[in-house]
Amino acid sequence: MADSLRARRARRPFPLRQAGLASAVLWFVGVLVVGPAGDLTVPASRMLAIFGAAVVLWITEAIPLSATSIMVILAEILLVSDQALVSIDDFEGRPYAEYFATLAHPVLMLFLGGFVLAECAAKYRLDRNLAGVLLRPFGTSPTAIVAGLMVITAVLSMFMSNTATTAAMMAVVLPVTAGLSPTDRLRTGLILCIPVAANIGGLGTPVGSPPNAIALGRLADEGIRVDFVQWMALAVPIVVVVLATAWLLIVRLYPAEASSLDVRIGGAFDRSTQAIILYVTFAVTIVGWVTEPLHGIPSAIIGFLPVVILFATKVFGVDDLRTINWHVLWLVGGGIALGLGVSDTGLDDWLVGLVDWGSLSTIVLATTLAAVALVMSTIISNSATANLVVPIGVSLATSAAVDLDPLLAGVIIAMACSLAMALPISTPPNAIAYASGHVQTKDLTIVGAVVGVVGLVLVLYVAPPIWEAVGLL
Amino acid sequence: MSDLVVLVIEDEPEVRAALVRDLEAAFTTVRVDQAADVDDALAAMAEADDAGDVVGLILADHRLPGRSGVDLLVELHERDDTRHIRKVLVTGQADQQDTIRAVNEAGLDHYIAKPWDPADLVRVVVDELTDFVVETGLDPLAHMRDLDAARLAAAFAARGRPE
Repeated sequence: MADSLRARRARRPFPLRQAGLASAVLWFVGVLVVGPAGDLTVPASRMLAIFGAAVVLWITEAIPLSATSIMVILAEILLVSDQALVSIDDFEGRPYAEYFATLAHPVLMLFLGGFVLAECAAKYRLDRNLAGVLLRPFGTSPTAIVAGLMVITAVLSMFMSNTATTAAMMAVVLPVTAGLSPTDRLRTGLILCIPVAANIGGLGTPVGSPPNAIALGRLADEGIRVDFVQWMALAVPIVVVVLATAWLLIVRLYPAEASSLDVRIGGAFDRSTQAIILYVTFAVTIVGWVTEPLHGIPSAIIGFLPVVILFATKVFGVDDLRTINWHVLWLVGGGIALGLGVSDTGLDDWLVGLVDWGSLSTIVLATTLAAVALVMSTIISNSATANLVVPIGVSLATSAAVDLDPLLAGVIIAMACSLAMALPISTPPNAIAYASGHVQTKDLTIVGAVVGVVGLVLVLYVAPPIWEAVGLL
Repeated sequence: MSDLVVLVIEDEPEVRAALVRDLEAAFTTVRVDQAADVDDALAAMAEADDAGDVVGLILADHRLPGRSGVDLLVELHERDDTRHIRKVLVTGQADQQDTIRAVNEAGLDHYIAKPWDPADLVRVVVDELTDFVVETGLDPLAHMRDLDAARLAAAFAARGRPE
């Protein structure tokens, strides 16, 4: 039956999707047929065919986002790897296995660790119970409760997906809003603060949200290693300032009529052996991640530890494996593969050569990259945006034509992708809040636009000099 | 956008109107449809299907002119295309045999005794429809306003729409 429902929905026309599919095929075939021209070499022209088709498919979502990713990998193997169907003179393609290997890139292993920890945290209600403990010090005044909910949501979403965090926290705030007077604007504030905090919190760690992984994966392939705690040192201060701004705005725009709130989250901690194994593994993993500079073990290897331990001890069972969103890992893998191909084939040099970058100052260039990422990911998925903008931005930064630190470029783009939250469609957390009926588009637009602009100003102009001064860049 | 439909099957016009009124007051994204007997109900279901609407829940009286409500629920349970529809008996007169048959052969999801408490009725319908949306893979966000928002948000998150 579920199939027939889906079939019925699929029969409905999606003009944008059909147009997307048609343009992607047309572009792909067209560019392959036209082939190299001018400075565009044969491998770069093939990669241009793949890149353009990926742009269209990720923007229109003509096929699922992660399907585009694996299609990119297949196309790269068939067109520009050492197993290309038609080989290219004077071009040694990358071994095809390395394109497949992007699906198990260390950054994805790190992400997998995050996924497994998050699933287990939900399974043993560690997320809600921790939230309950963390909320207690905030008391009962509505402004403090909003602050508390935002801090907790942001912290959870640094380690869980922004969407799962939002869903878990909605279960907490919905009953509270139901108890408020229908005229109390706090209802909107309470619901709105959750997706906003979840989106912002996603910036905080490498496992917080896929754009971070896409940037880190691309940087790693350029030989630039950023450890877990270095990313946190770059991102957490931004999270704190942006979160505080959003809080001020929300409590001002949505003043409470109620003078106190009773928010109940969680209950007694699970004390079963399995839950205790989870608590210990969770703590050890996080300590391992943040102490990377001391022991030097890469965060991806530490991130694989909970996967092995929790699976071996059946804390995370075979059935739980199905709850992992593998397609999100594929989506990121495709972005990393796209970056590899763009840089291998020299398409990046060709793209960079299209514009006279020398005439642009570094700050204008960085601002342009960030603004493009922010606008794109306001409308399409943050991860798809990162998949498209990160390879170009990092390639630009590594080229001689431009004086921009590649690490800074990667960080700026990843953060700009996550700071886009001005529409219901901008992020899945926004979609949840909007669907609840308590939040209108204009609520998201006002708070989202302020968060986006304040965040971008911080990331572009305020933070870099500080990062440089303290030796983070 | 296809509608999610609750079908009320009840032969007494006043009772039917009361059921429909209690339900319509509670929902904005769910359509409440009504039928007076089994044939009428099957016609309403065919009509909904043609319109692209999805019947998610049937609230049936047992004693109806012609075939009984339990007969209909058993038939729907045996058909592949209607087995997933949540089935609730709203009745004051079903004897033990009928009730047992509804549970065993129709996969009855809930039993509401007449007279019903409107709040109870709405709670049951919300729970059953939420189950229906989660199990059949309909868009969970489309019905968050009316149904169990927390469960639907969790179902949406579990599907893992990429951020």
